[in-house]
Amino acid sequence: MSLLVLDGVRKGYESGPGARQVLRDVSLDLDPGELAVVWGMRGSGRSTLMRIAAGIEPPDAGVVRFEGHDLAARGERLLGSGVGYCQKTLRFTDGHTALDHAMVGLLSRWMAPKLARKRSLHALERVGAERCAGMHRHELSSAEAVRVALARTLALEPKLIVIDEPVKGVELIDRDPILALLRSLADEGIAVLASTGESTGLSEADRALVLGDGELRGAPVRQLAPVVPLRSGLRSSSAS
Amino acid sequence: MEAGRLSAGSIGRQKGPMHSPVNWALLGLIIERPSYAYDLAQRFERRYGTVLTLSNVGHVYTAMGALEGRELVQEIPGTREGRQPKPRYRATAEGVRAYREWLIGQVGEDRRRQELFVLALAALAGDPEQIVEVVERCEQAWLTEGMGTRIAREQGAPLDGIPALLHRLIEEENRLAVGAKLAWVEYARQELKKLSGRLRRS
Repeated sequence: MSLLVLDGVRKGYESGPGARQVLRDVSLDLDPGELAVVWGMRGSGRSTLMRIAAGIEPPDAGVVRFEGHDLAARGERLLGSGVGYCQKTLRFTDGHTALDHAMVGLLSRWMAPKLARKRSLHALERVGAERCAGMHRHELSSAEAVRVALARTLALEPKLIVIDEPVKGVELIDRDPILALLRSLADEGIAVLASTGESTGLSEADRALVLGDGELRGAPVRQLAPVVPLRSGLRSSSAS
Repeated sequence: MEAGRLSAGSIGRQKGPMHSPVNWALLGLIIERPSYAYDLAQRFERRYGTVLTLSNVGHVYTAMGALEGRELVQEIPGTREGRQPKPRYRATAEGVRAYREWLIGQVGEDRRRQELFVLALAALAGDPEQIVEVVERCEQAWLTEGMGTRIAREQGAPLDGIPALLHRLIEEENRLAVGAKLAWVEYARQELKKLSGRLRRS
């Protein structure tokens, strides 16, 4: 069973002459450890798609399932408990540090502060932002802000991370390390669904899709190399 | 092997543009470092092996003839002598100038290639749906290419020198170009849909 399934999702905004169908019969499935990237032009609806995939926004029609559960019915409960929506815009209030920010999700779920702190520090370390723990929002570069946002999501130990335009606004030179980080999270078994307005974001994705005119079109899924069990490989080489 | 069998000097000055990318690539290698045919063939294989083909070392002699005939390279005096002559070639000032002009001209080549593609699509203009189908297949191919590009994990000056940097520059150009092509597909689809609608109505 796929981890995330979008089936015949439709979404439109406004009614009357200004009405716009943003998503038409969009279907997608995502497995654990898969990195899928949706490329789209500005206004193509990729952010809407990300919010719907994370269960933040309900579709007008169609269904979104996470581990077989309908997100529209259980979105609130699943968000943060399996589904991690990475909100890139950091809104720390004055006086709060990146570590405080990374802890927010855990504390709101009544985790003991000591444990929340430990887990958040570990998440910051995992994304390469341990040096940012004591920093305030204005002290973070755009790339560091993305890392801190990812740490906040990772602290909740999600099975799926949905992130809208992870490298938007990030300096060109700092983009690849963030893409490499997303790739490594997928390699660890987390499913990652990201959107991008730039083709560099497609690099090393397992699945690349285009969202245009409300339709989601994709390249054939990358064929992974067959895995030869180590033991049988050793047996055959020692036999020869 | 008889070195320099096809002596370039015997061909005389050649006219007209040089179209062979192999010849231009060899000229570039000579500009980089004066070389003899066998060395050039080996360096060519290492540098361009994935994109250009050199049939054999004899191909290099033929190319040297063409380059010398255009006065873009010259044989280094004295290198043909001895029991095993190995004529070495160096670039002329004209060769360096022409090579730079050719590099800049490649920008136009990209545009011409895309123009040729679009003009060739016109053969299907009677049925815009067919064009959309072809364009969408291209979109899939470009998406696959985008997925296949590598994330640069090493930033800053490469530790292993120019080849690594060249590789990264090629990769980056490819990654950025995919975005332009995908955007073009979006534009083309919209326009073709409108055309299709108009044809249906008429």
